Amino acid sequence: MWPIIKITYREMISKRIFTITLIMSLAFLLLFGLATGYAVKEMKEMLGGASAERLLEKQFLSTQMLGMGLYFGSVITALLAILSSVGSIASEIESHQIDTWLARALPRYKYVLGKFFGLASMLGLYALLMFTGLLGINQWVGEGMLAVQVDASQILKAAAFFVSMPIILVCVAMLLSSMTTTVTGGIILIILYGISFVGGFIEQLGAVFSNSSLTNIGIISSLLFPADSLFRQATLSLFDSADDPLSFASQGIFGTTSPPSTAMLFYTVFYGIVALGLSIRVFQKRDV
Amino acid sequence: MSDFVIETWELTKQYNGKAGCKNITLQVPRGSVFGFLGQNGAGKSTFVRTMLGLLHPTDGKAVMLGQPIGSVESRKKVGYLPELFRYPDWLTGQQLLEHHAELCGLTHRESKAVIKNVVELVGMAGRERERIRGYSKGMQQRIGIACALLSDPELIFLDEPTSALDPIGRKEVRELIARLRDQGKTIFLNSHLLSEMESVCNHVGIIHRSELVVHGEWRKLSSVQPQIELTVDKDSGSLQNVLPSFVTASQLVRQEDNRDSWLMTLDQDNRVPALLQQLIASGVAIHEVVRKQQSLEDVFLYWVQRKEGERHVADHQNHV
Repeated sequence: MWPIIKITYREMISKRIFTITLIMSLAFLLLFGLATGYAVKEMKEMLGGASAERLLEKQFLSTQMLGMGLYFGSVITALLAILSSVGSIASEIESHQIDTWLARALPRYKYVLGKFFGLASMLGLYALLMFTGLLGINQWVGEGMLAVQVDASQILKAAAFFVSMPIILVCVAMLLSSMTTTVTGGIILIILYGISFVGGFIEQLGAVFSNSSLTNIGIISSLLFPADSLFRQATLSLFDSADDPLSFASQGIFGTTSPPSTAMLFYTVFYGIVALGLSIRVFQKRDV
Repeated sequence: MSDFVIETWELTKQYNGKAGCKNITLQVPRGSVFGFLGQNGAGKSTFVRTMLGLLHPTDGKAVMLGQPIGSVESRKKVGYLPELFRYPDWLTGQQLLEHHAELCGLTHRESKAVIKNVVELVGMAGRERERIRGYSKGMQQRIGIACALLSDPELIFLDEPTSALDPIGRKEVRELIARLRDQGKTIFLNSHLLSEMESVCNHVGIIHRSELVVHGEWRKLSSVQPQIELTVDKDSGSLQNVLPSFVTASQLVRQEDNRDSWLMTLDQDNRVPALLQQLIASGVAIHEVVRKQQSLEDVFLYWVQRKEGERHVADHQNHV
């Protein structure tokens, strides 16, 4: 399996998409740092004092700023995960590059798992760097004004959820890649990801307005594709406000009013494992 | 150890009941160069891809190197050059070979030596550090052959191995195949370039419209239709009127000075003395008799036409 993992690393690094994404991610982090820096400067001038009312405003702005950064960071990570993994098997079948690999004494399940571990570890590392970059900017550039107060365990928990999101995407991408073409798989996965995120927002709005229909739509979309629940759990772990009655006020649209249940988190893990298991099964039976 | 590296029984791979290969029963002897002949789309590549586990058979069974096809064990000592050779163009030739060497389970030290050897063998020495995207088609085919030879395979499938090569490259590949044969390796050669196959193959199988028409030692197959070229006087009367019934076909092939050359097809190989006796008795002046060595193309066309004839008869009977 190791040669397949290695060649997956080499492919990602060699292909332009990864380099461009890295450059654009750095540009995004730079922009986020500049925005945070200017916001800190403005806030220092505007707020200054430390009354309880102003503390609330600071908390709102700080979580908003970091939540926004994490949200766009997760979108970039997800798009990279989709674009780099949905063609991992399909495009090789289409081009017949896969023929010489599979003609070796290599079981097909090892090929799928090699691709999965290669992609998941690279994307997991990318997500971790993105998360660390955003949080680092928030803490260092945000100083006392915009820095969200977090402890090590919160960071670790949030990072774990943030990193899990592209891994789940890779699991589903492997399934689509082993059963359909690159273009079809890409379209399906982008739509599923879109449903998940829009559903996530609808669920939060449903919780704010106590509208069960909206909440149910969100839950159904999460069941369909549970990527959003991982992002929500990441922000929830970081801002630790699930029990705070003012949580939505302090976190805005990027925060979490309706936290994912433990069952949903187990479902998400189960979803990923089943998708990966199915991809192996489908690929083993498939003609290439 | 079996005498055959490949044995198939009614092996079938069809796509929705169409095309592919159908009911292929054949044996490929160990150490032979087996030429699998057929027109484009006859099912040659489908058969090879089924043997290698890339396609799942719809019926029948097969063993390769003593193991059932589709199993990992069956592919342990097998090399493969696909017809549609495409390699990751972002790798260098050397990196491609290194990855394949790893998949073959070679250690770093082993792979270094083996790669150096195969790169030289296919005439790519000095170019292996370049990216594949900069290779010509012929160079890609050469690096593909190098890949196929990496694991020191017992059985090598070469699917149209000279399709992108120039005449010198083709000659080099033919020489390489002969060298591999001398080392005791079995080569399964897929091609529709019959003249190329003729010089290297000792066994052939002919596939037509997905079905195996015939297979065996090709020199034996070539004697199925014995032919002689007979040069006689032009004024030998009407030669065709005195031909015995065992001459199944005759054709005037050349007229020079006062002599005609006829190509005679006999029903059996041992009829030549009887034919000559009869012609001489009939007053035909014979100047030259040359036993016609049939080309692979002749053999191929004979069997394909025969199969087509049987097919037409069967279709006609079904119609009636």
